[in-house]
Amino acid sequence: MGRELTFEIFRYNPAQPDIEPRMQTYTLEETPSMTLFIALNKIREEQDPTLQFDFCCRAGICGSCGMVINGVPGLACHTQTKDLPDKITLHPLPVFKLLGDLSVDTGVWFRNVGGKIESWIHTKKKFDPEAQEERMDNALANQIFELDRCVECGCCVAACGTARMREDFIGATAINRLARFYIDPRDNRDAADFYDLIGDDNGVFGCMGLLACDNVCPKQIPLHDQLGIMRRMATVESVKAIIPDFIRKKLTGCKSVKA
Amino acid sequence: MNPRTPAEIRSRLDFWQAFSGALLAVFVCCHLILEGSVVISPVVTDFIGDWMEKIYVAQIVAPVILALILFHFWIAARKMPFRKGELTIFTQHSMALKDVDTALWIVQVFTAIVILFGAFFHVYGVMSQMPLTVEKSHIRLHEGWILFYTVFLPCTILHTGIGMYRIGVKYGLISKARRKIWRAIIWIGMGCYLILGCCALTRVWFY
Ligand code: SF4
Ligand code: SF4
Ligand code: FES
Repeated sequence: MGRELTFEIFRYNPAQPDIEPRMQTYTLEETPSMTLFIALNKIREEQDPTLQFDFCCRAGICGSCGMVINGVPGLACHTQTKDLPDKITLHPLPVFKLLGDLSVDTGVWFRNVGGKIESWIHTKKKFDPEAQEERMDNALANQIFELDRCVECGCCVAACGTARMREDFIGATAINRLARFYIDPRDNRDAADFYDLIGDDNGVFGCMGLLACDNVCPKQIPLHDQLGIMRRMATVESVKAIIPDFIRKKLTGCKSVKA
Repeated sequence: MNPRTPAEIRSRLDFWQAFSGALLAVFVCCHLILEGSVVISPVVTDFIGDWMEKIYVAQIVAPVILALILFHFWIAARKMPFRKGELTIFTQHSMALKDVDTALWIVQVFTAIVILFGAFFHVYGVMSQMPLTVEKSHIRLHEGWILFYTVFLPCTILHTGIGMYRIGVKYGLISKARRKIWRAIIWIGMGCYLILGCCALTRVWFY
């Protein structure tokens, strides 16, 4: 017989504001290879059909099942109960709009920061649907792919002390996203343009290097290494008038630095 | 070169924060080593003190460092959780997350405040009783300053060590792969400085 797991789950439905937020307890027998996703579905099927939470892919790809697990943000489908103690406390991700119980709306938040950082390729070239796709160096393509692995689960934002305190902070995920365009040769923006987008306290300078984002990312994206590169780029750009150009270029420290 | 707008000048603050922090860190490291020379012999420390006074280094460096501390604090304070509710949110967050790096930031904020006031007391105590000699320090410690230093010294070392680690991480000089090893180096470094500082205090106490 498996362990008996006790779940303490945050319950609140914004559509029923007269019912106070509360923690509700459920117990469940652990089965082999049980993930939180399986456990939550079991609870919903067998004990409480009103429990709200999100999931879709069950494989860590869609990023919809992010929640705070015993204080630490993570993906429910990626978390096995065998790695957790007998008592498991679940909260919805903070920062994002609460839809109900464990379900939050990360979409609006990500769309909003995507707009702020202009998260698309800026090019003057006219798109020719007939033309063959341009070739790209394999190593560079891999580098870009590496930065594009974010599934927008929001765990890094929820784990970030700065994002918790300052709601305009764009978070590590957005800075990582911009790093992707920064190294993409098809994007015509230069360091000054990127600086204009993230060179302030709501952007890269808001980050206090607390590293929690990096520690919780379920896709293990080295978020902080990217933040470091972008911060260096923005800092060097901010002191443009003080430091001579040849030193500036050396300091920027990104392989495919644009002019 | 384009002139920068006020918003852009504001964004330079991060650079100045790191720059002034790095200068102060270098200063603290040198200062503690020079002070630590008392462990070898008070004669050496007296010689260094005398020499620094003669060439006016002590008289110039002290106010400059105080100004730098004020400047560094003023810039860094924009990040401190002083706005309504921020400290509570951050403390609760850090406790729930049980993340060492997040918790260390609270340590940074606390030690920053101790250093801000402590540095003024320290400089006042030392400079108002020139010349710089071990004997004068000995008297001061016995006058009750020992209590002040048992708080001020660890706070300064902690703030310097964590601050240097954070500059390294924030500017991508310490990558994810090397973070563990750097963290160990910094802790060992802070430990060594703390031991040196304690030995120096003990030596001066029993002068
Ligand atoms: S390193 Fe920066 S972005 Fe990441 S959690 Fe800390 S403050 Fe937030
Ligand atoms: S960077 Fe990682 S933690 Fe943040 S949203 Fe993307 S996948 Fe999630
Ligand atoms: S359900 Fe898609 S990431 Fe968990």
